[in-house]
Amino acid sequence: MKLNCINSILKIFVVAILFLSCSSDLDFDQVNDLKLEPIFIANLAYFDIPANELVADGGTQIVYDSRNFDIFKKQFLRDYLKKVEFDVEIENTIERGFVINMLLLNSKNEILTTISFVVPAYKGSPNVIKYPTEVFENQRLELLKQTQNIGFVALMTSGVPLDENSLGNLKLRSSTTTYFEIEAK
Amino acid sequence: MRAKYLILGLLFQISCFSQNKEVLYNFTSIPQSLLVNPGADVSYKYYFGVPVLSGVSVNLGSSSFSVYDLFADNGIDFNDKVRNIVNKSSRNDKVVTNQQLEVFSGGFRVGGRESRSYVSFGVYQEFDFFMYMPKDMALLALDGNKNYIGKVFHLDDLNVKAEVLSVFHVGFHKKMNDKLVLGGRAKLYSSGANAVSTHNSGYIFTGQQPGTVNLYNQIISSNLELKTSGISRFTKDEYEGNIARDIAHNTFFNGSLGLGVDAGVTYYPKENFQVTASIIDLGFINQSKDIETLTYKGTYQYQGANPDFSGTNDPENVFAEFKKAIPRDTLYNKYTTWRPTKIYASLQYSFGYFRSDNDCNCKEKIKERYRNAAGIQFFGMTAPREPLVAVTAFYKRNIFEKLDLKATYTIDEFSSTNIGLGLSGTIWKLNMYALVNNVLEYKDISKASSAAFQLGINFVFQDSED
Repeated sequence: MKLNCINSILKIFVVAILFLSCSSDLDFDQVNDLKLEPIFIANLAYFDIPANELVADGGTQIVYDSRNFDIFKKQFLRDYLKKVEFDVEIENTIERGFVINMLLLNSKNEILTTISFVVPAYKGSPNVIKYPTEVFENQRLELLKQTQNIGFVALMTSGVPLDENSLGNLKLRSSTTTYFEIEAK
Repeated sequence: MRAKYLILGLLFQISCFSQNKEVLYNFTSIPQSLLVNPGADVSYKYYFGVPVLSGVSVNLGSSSFSVYDLFADNGIDFNDKVRNIVNKSSRNDKVVTNQQLEVFSGGFRVGGRESRSYVSFGVYQEFDFFMYMPKDMALLALDGNKNYIGKVFHLDDLNVKAEVLSVFHVGFHKKMNDKLVLGGRAKLYSSGANAVSTHNSGYIFTGQQPGTVNLYNQIISSNLELKTSGISRFTKDEYEGNIARDIAHNTFFNGSLGLGVDAGVTYYPKENFQVTASIIDLGFINQSKDIETLTYKGTYQYQGANPDFSGTNDPENVFAEFKKAIPRDTLYNKYTTWRPTKIYASLQYSFGYFRSDNDCNCKEKIKERYRNAAGIQFFGMTAPREPLVAVTAFYKRNIFEKLDLKATYTIDEFSSTNIGLGLSGTIWKLNMYALVNNVLEYKDISKASSAAFQLGINFVFQDSED
């Protein structure tokens, strides 16, 4: 009798544990919906050229340099890139106007795209220009993914001659905003 | 794809498992209560556990979200759920996972019928996992740094350790007199796989400082270290085997060895008043098999490309510079890990005399003379940042002579409504027990912040049954 009783209590207990424990409808396949869309901001390029390094007569002058810039070529970034934006800000306190060309170059040093920034000469008042955001999406983004080097051409337009005593600087500051889209394939 | 599962895995860590066995503690009709207090007032002529079925325990829970929050089939976008969970979590949310499986266990009384000295022994397998919510890393993965200019992302949010081990143990406890029981247990640990990354520091920062040459001031200062034992060969390309089988083999036969002790005491200041205390897993493991330590230490300030129009040519490469500033180093030094040490204590008051159907068995067990017992328990466990603590109120009732019930109410970091229930019954010589906690949540287990169960079957032989 007692054994029976213990038995039934144990049974009820076990059954109760098993059946009282319900669960809401769950859908574990939702994992496949996971899509990460982080947005990262980073420096792109910068320079600061003092006027006295641009010794020039009144005519036009060109300076050029290129730097390694293959970050968007890296496989782990390429796969997840959705959009990239370049923001450029130039401050000119030199009494000469400039045209600055930003060149994206592939591994054969061929120009993939050129972005031009027209910089007016300094006239004594603040001369900082924030240029419209350059957006790389779809076809244009493919160019970025082939980019090996970034080149800058600074073209000085005609105006007052500069010498080693000339004042002012040409400053460029820029950033990239990178939009990722990471999801299962 | 891999990144996705990695991130999901990181989020999952918040599902918390606690190691507190509040229902089992001092539940002395179950021989396995000796594993949480080697000085528990347990007596037997001899016992043995049904192999693999004598003690199974799994604990799970969560301090900041439940399975329901993440996987409910309720039409809310999964990514919104993930974001909500990360936003409402804190860096001190933790996962404490513990799973144990007794391979075999047994015990016997030493000396004659009058002796009150007992030996117990066994082997069990254990899995431990401890991790804090890496909140800053989760935010970076979800949102990036765009909306967090000026924020410092702390790398010390990354704090995790995991271990698979087997434990060979021999314990001894003795009733010194009617008032005092003392016990101890020696343990030999064999760790099949261990990973520790608990001493990280550093930060990732993006700020704006007017008047500087760059738009942003970007710094990564990294002091990351991951120590592993018994794992590195699985990460090699040439490995072709079954990871689970190899870890299981190493756990029992080829692990890193360590030593530990348990100690415990039960004391009766009065016949119906009992005090107990125990310390469990005071020990270490000397991690020595297949060891590998990875470090990323250094500081890197990212400037961006800096063309130089003066004609000098110094080629720069962002990746090369980064790797040079924060190199990945691999070391092969042995290291020592400390086991998570647990402390239990309890105060118990007994009342209501028990009327036995059998003839009086006067020399056995004071506790069985009372039908009810109530009291409080304390639990503490070492953890990388701050110890985990819990307080439990309990009530025990002897329903029949061989059927005991224990109910607990526990408050800890994971829940303040944790009610546990345990039953231990003996039919003939077969002792069966089932213990669960957080029973209130069983009406919808997916919403539970934590859940734990233990069950097992033993054969227990007492003198009276000779």
